[in-house]
Amino acid sequence: MKNILDTLFKPFRALGSLFGKIPWKTLANWVLVPFVLTGRLLVKLKRKIGATAFGQRLDKRWMKILTWSGEKPESINVASSLIAVFLGLLFGFVVMLVVDPSNAVSGFFTILFGPFQQGMRSVGDTIFYAVPIILTGLSVAFAFRTGLFNIGASGQLYVGAFVAVYIGVQWDFLGPTHWIVACIGAILAGAAWGAIPGLLKAFRNVHEVVVSIMLNYVSIYLVNLLVRSFIFNPTLNRALGPESSAHIPTLFLDNLFPRSSINIGIFITLAAVFLFHVLLNRTVFGYELKSVGLNREAARYAGMKEKRNITLSMTIAGGIAGLAGAMMFLVPGTYIRIVDVPLEQGFTGIAIALLGLSAPFGVLIAGLFYGGINRGGYFAQSLYREEIVNVIIAVIIYFSALSLFTKQVIAKYIRKRTKKDVQLQESKGDVG
Amino acid sequence: MHAIEMLNITKEFPGIKANDDVTLKVRKGEIHALLGENGAGKTTLMSVLFGLYQADEGEIRVKGDKAHIRNPNDANDLGIGMVHQHFKLVNRFTVAENIILGAEDTRRGFLHYDDAIARIEKLSNQYNLNVDPHARVWDISVGHQQRVEILKILYRDAEILIFDEPTAALTPQEIDELMEILKMLAKEGKSIVFITHKLEEIRRVADRVTVLRDGKRVDTLEVSKTTNKDLAERMVGREVVFEIDKAPAKPKDAVLEVDNLHVYSPFRKQDVVRNMNFEVRKGEILCIAGIEGNGQTELVYGLTGLNPITSGTMKLNGEDVTALDIRERSLRGISHIPEDRQRHGLILDFSLSYNMILQNYFQPPFQNRGFLQDSAIVNHANRLIETYDIRTSSGAATLARSMSGGNQQKAILGREIDRGNDLLIAVQPTRGLDVGAIESIHKQLIAARDAGKAVLIVSYDLNEVFMLSDRILVMYEGENVGVFDPQDTTESELGLYMSGSKRSESA
Amino acid sequence: MIVEVFNEIVSMLSYVIPVMIALMIVALGGLFSERSGTINIALEGIMVMGGFIGAMILYVLLNHTELHIQLSVFIALIVGALSGMAFSFFHAFASVRMKSNQIISATALNLFAASVGVFVARTVFGYRRINVDESYRIDVPILSEIPILGDLLFKNAFLSTYLGIIILIAVIIILYRTRFGLRLRSCGENPHAADSLGIDVGRMRYAGVLISGLLAGLGGAVFVIAFQNRFESDVRGFGFLALALLISGQWRPQRIFVISILFALMRVIAARSDSIMGIQAIDIPTEVFRMLPYLLTIAVLAFTSKTSKAPEALGEPYDTGKR
Repeated sequence: MKNILDTLFKPFRALGSLFGKIPWKTLANWVLVPFVLTGRLLVKLKRKIGATAFGQRLDKRWMKILTWSGEKPESINVASSLIAVFLGLLFGFVVMLVVDPSNAVSGFFTILFGPFQQGMRSVGDTIFYAVPIILTGLSVAFAFRTGLFNIGASGQLYVGAFVAVYIGVQWDFLGPTHWIVACIGAILAGAAWGAIPGLLKAFRNVHEVVVSIMLNYVSIYLVNLLVRSFIFNPTLNRALGPESSAHIPTLFLDNLFPRSSINIGIFITLAAVFLFHVLLNRTVFGYELKSVGLNREAARYAGMKEKRNITLSMTIAGGIAGLAGAMMFLVPGTYIRIVDVPLEQGFTGIAIALLGLSAPFGVLIAGLFYGGINRGGYFAQSLYREEIVNVIIAVIIYFSALSLFTKQVIAKYIRKRTKKDVQLQESKGDVG
Repeated sequence: MHAIEMLNITKEFPGIKANDDVTLKVRKGEIHALLGENGAGKTTLMSVLFGLYQADEGEIRVKGDKAHIRNPNDANDLGIGMVHQHFKLVNRFTVAENIILGAEDTRRGFLHYDDAIARIEKLSNQYNLNVDPHARVWDISVGHQQRVEILKILYRDAEILIFDEPTAALTPQEIDELMEILKMLAKEGKSIVFITHKLEEIRRVADRVTVLRDGKRVDTLEVSKTTNKDLAERMVGREVVFEIDKAPAKPKDAVLEVDNLHVYSPFRKQDVVRNMNFEVRKGEILCIAGIEGNGQTELVYGLTGLNPITSGTMKLNGEDVTALDIRERSLRGISHIPEDRQRHGLILDFSLSYNMILQNYFQPPFQNRGFLQDSAIVNHANRLIETYDIRTSSGAATLARSMSGGNQQKAILGREIDRGNDLLIAVQPTRGLDVGAIESIHKQLIAARDAGKAVLIVSYDLNEVFMLSDRILVMYEGENVGVFDPQDTTESELGLYMSGSKRSESA
Repeated sequence: MIVEVFNEIVSMLSYVIPVMIALMIVALGGLFSERSGTINIALEGIMVMGGFIGAMILYVLLNHTELHIQLSVFIALIVGALSGMAFSFFHAFASVRMKSNQIISATALNLFAASVGVFVARTVFGYRRINVDESYRIDVPILSEIPILGDLLFKNAFLSTYLGIIILIAVIIILYRTRFGLRLRSCGENPHAADSLGIDVGRMRYAGVLISGLLAGLGGAVFVIAFQNRFESDVRGFGFLALALLISGQWRPQRIFVISILFALMRVIAARSDSIMGIQAIDIPTEVFRMLPYLLTIAVLAFTSKTSKAPEALGEPYDTGKR
């Protein structure tokens, strides 16, 4: 009898010891206590300072800021984004504390500031890694602006990558235009891949999310097949690398950021950011796309061809993601491998788009931020590595999903203090 | 002793006092009407009674005892039931499932229907409700659905029944049937409160009427001892002019000619509009009257191009435009003020200026070689703001979403009239607006007509129809059943046509 | 010849059935969530969570205790299911209480599950994978002697198969014959109606999502333990395939059951196309078979979208303020 009970309880004890490994004390010491203490301190401080003339002036300033913010709904959106980032980082920090308390603080700061500590090379690398993310972010953001959810950026990226590498390997007769043609090919491939959910949504009202997810997986197997058939390197079990004429040129950046992987992809990306802004905000086409995204019925009433616009939106978004694929693989040292799951860049793009509030400049900054903490993750103690950064990103997305709630809380606070009515503006991702 | 007493009820929402110190007393066995305009607070008051809201101040007494109604369950327990204006039925379920939902019989954890169905049938017979427990809700008529709602609350032993605008979606037949049912229920001792803004209905069934205005109680009167004029004045707060100052029409050539038109509805999967023949001439207002749901919406969709025309022709200034798409027709001279301004008329998250070019953003001066010309767009919006007295918080840059309903409608009106098209179609142009906005819009419509435009109005408010129209066309079940001169006809005569009881040979 | 083909079919079916059961379990979970009105595309992430924790538990049980294999598996499955339920709480919270965008919160969960799984695996086990390689098949005594049926259902069977059948029957009964099921469905069709009749829509929707988490977690544990025999970072799109199954099955358990067989068949052919005779004769690369389930799903979606019988209020957060 005792044996049976023993064996039954063993797993619980094993679990218990696992549980015990969590440094509750350190957690309490580093998180709970500081928080409570700081909170108390802040409240005391606030009361003290509030009583002084200086405090009154500060308060007036704060009221001014709040009033200004209340009239500019975009500022509330930005605030909620920043809060999501803060919460994500906080969560990551807590996890790091749990896993390795002694290194947590230094590890955390390395994640945040690592790239700068290590000099120009790491800054260059940061920019290099940020490029495809920014592009996928733009892809998702573009779709968001037009009322669509491009969760298929991964697949579009991947087929774009394949076409780029294929051209890079096989079309070596092209000389100096080689890399340009490869990029164009990638864009076209991504666009075609994006057109599929676009067409289905426009003409058959199929939810683009599910289709895109399916296509992500189809793209993996398709590319695996195509790589194996056309550009395979059997000894190393990966795709062949593109010719050097197909690599994205580095030009003078080599001198600015020695030994880093950076190339002029960043300029192409900046151009894309600029084009995004112009297209969406200054052209008739952009006006139509936004209308369709904000109110499909009204757009139809206004005589806009919403089916065409929806298809074009997804196509353009796909093209941008395809370009991201080219940026990732038209470089020395990176090869397409036989994979089983979609590339993560597609999903990080979603986070970036949400953080950047689907605005071109916002996506740019969010992408650079991501590049930064990603590189930082590499520099941090090997125990943490990339996964912790992904955990942080996932939490950021989660809180971005709650953004409507956050914005309402902020708006309520502003309303209470300024006694004025505050309107909330939709930020993309609020509606499904 | 009163069945229900609502004493000094106050309910506030952010920015508005929906109920301000309102007292309502309902006797047992009486039919008590609650009269008021849109926004007077009728629905809010009843929602408080039904437990959907909690009053900020005030007390409710049921049969003399103080009651705390925190949610619909509490209300149900006290014998209070509500038939909502927009039915709360699960379309996919059967009638029986809808009725028992929330009050299910279970045997050993499993649903048991036999007793429930027996009870439903008994109640149905007792009150002449004619309800089929096994039908699925998406298969039955609107009147039948309403009777299911009534049965829902009778099933729960309701003694006090609240009806919210019960006749809004019914045919005159169904309205008659409902009135009989109400009288029967009152006779059996049930107390009935019904919310309405239709004076005729109050005359027909109500014993007493309480008038609300702007959240306050104005008066409670015996129906038999008061006139419509009295009621209308109390409802609106000033002398109600049942007529409007209007010069006689001077119609000229036809702008819109509709011949044997059939319009298809993808929603109902059939031709909802059939054999429509009519014309609208320059300088006249033609109102299409009828109960909502008789094809008026689809007719307008057909004219503007949203729904396909399956046969027949439509001519604009002599040109056949039947085959043209939405934009082409719009450019050929159709201006349209849609029924649902927030869904079709505006893009709420755009600025006012962007909304003002919704119909012609692709034309110069608003665009040049594909690029938007902001200054031209803003100037245009500012001009419209001036001309049509549109009130905004920040001018042309205001987000449409933050404008009031009345101002949104004025903006749409301004945009459409300003385009200078020959044909102006307005559907329910004053729906949900306050009296001031309504007056303003009526004035604009008449002005357009006097300026020589052809104006086609669809309205479900016979008052408005009589006020504005030079000619009235009645639609019933998608067809033109008669054209009338407002001077030569009455609301009751039209009612007969609207319910299909009569049909004009000349239609 | 016929005997060979027959045996071929039987052996293939014996692979298909476990896959089909796993798919079905997850899809039925998704059914609860969506029928109550909440879109749940986080089935994949929940599966990962359930699989990951189930694998961890199983690893501990196998290597540190002397419990009987099937009992260990059973415990691991239960724990996996419960952790799936706990994880789905975040989706429920975001969707029901916070009324946020259901797709985004689900995407966050998917990402989170993938990263956390690998992260913990690395830190605790020092390696990206958790191996739980054992033979879990059982031969049910007596019943496996029945000709044909015995070979199909009772020989070389998984524990999960029986669980799955029980779950299927339970779901049908619960959804259509109980008060809970009626109320749950009403929340997905017309939450205003349910609310006006005193039903707590929020609570029902929470229940819907949590149940979906329970079943998806169970499915994930089954997937990781029985099929993959190890935990890696994901479940190969299985969760999304289950979602597609849910949609193709038009949110009805009976249809889901039937179509799950088809989908599982596709999956098995894709995985084992080398060893199935007949397929070898045709020179189609394996990748095509891998793509087939997804392509088929897209085709199904494209053609059933117009007549979709989705719950009417699916995806709309219910706001009591908008009564």
